[in-house]
Amino acid sequence: MLSFVILAVLLIAGSIGVVSLKQPVHAALSLVASLMTLAIVYISLEAHFLAGIQVIVYAGAIMVLFLFVIMLLNVQEQKENKFAWMKPAAYIVGALTAIGLVANILQSPTPALNAELIDTIIAGGTAEGVAQVLFNQFVLGFQLVGVLLLTGIVGATSLVQRKAEIAKIEEDLANA
Amino acid sequence: MIGTEYYIALSAIIFSIGTVGVLSRRSAIMVFLSIELMLNAANLAMVAFARAWASEGALAAMNGQAAVFIILAIAAAEVAVGLGILVAIFRYRETTELDLLSEMRL
Repeated sequence: MLSFVILAVLLIAGSIGVVSLKQPVHAALSLVASLMTLAIVYISLEAHFLAGIQVIVYAGAIMVLFLFVIMLLNVQEQKENKFAWMKPAAYIVGALTAIGLVANILQSPTPALNAELIDTIIAGGTAEGVAQVLFNQFVLGFQLVGVLLLTGIVGATSLVQRKAEIAKIEEDLANA
Repeated sequence: MIGTEYYIALSAIIFSIGTVGVLSRRSAIMVFLSIELMLNAANLAMVAFARAWASEGALAAMNGQAAVFIILAIAAAEVAVGLGILVAIFRYRETTELDLLSEMRL
């Protein structure tokens, strides 16, 4: 229980950092911290393969992409704000949602866990165990994800590329 | 062994914090970060349920973990396209402030 409490506190602290830190880079690094903590929570939930994937894909690839874009765009939130009332309202909505959901969840009954059964059935959540399902029931979804990733790569590349060409044409026209 | 409900409650808290970020942040990138947080909260719930379903056999139990794997791949594609769109918008408008980006045209 103690390890769960420590992990939960770290995870919640990291998440609050994401929404409250002023500097975008700090917020992104805070998200990296909470994603790493989440990987450890996955290990405690017998999902070792997903924990590895979480570190490699999320904390590695996705967050590096985020940090690159934050540094490229140099985003700073501006001082003047027409919607200043939104911030306290958002915090109130979030707090009420969290309290309501947690109260509801802790009241509802959940089946008792059988440690031996989990050890034999989940078997540590290895790549083999995930692949057994992924390449049986989920094989169509798996292939669609492949198509989606390819579309994503082509889309992202063409999106940035075409804008760059248009900007260059406009620049040439302005110079001519 | 810690009960499933505690993990689901943790997931709900993280999801709510993500909602706060989406509602209160004004930079599009920060809203994006908060959406990632919400995706991860959903993933946590699914991994917890995968463990809870161990009594239903391996195929049923591992469904949750396989779904998380697919969500991870989709999140990667989503981030690539989303950040591409953000960079494209920034080239035209020199800002990512959502209050200033209320028009559909560039």
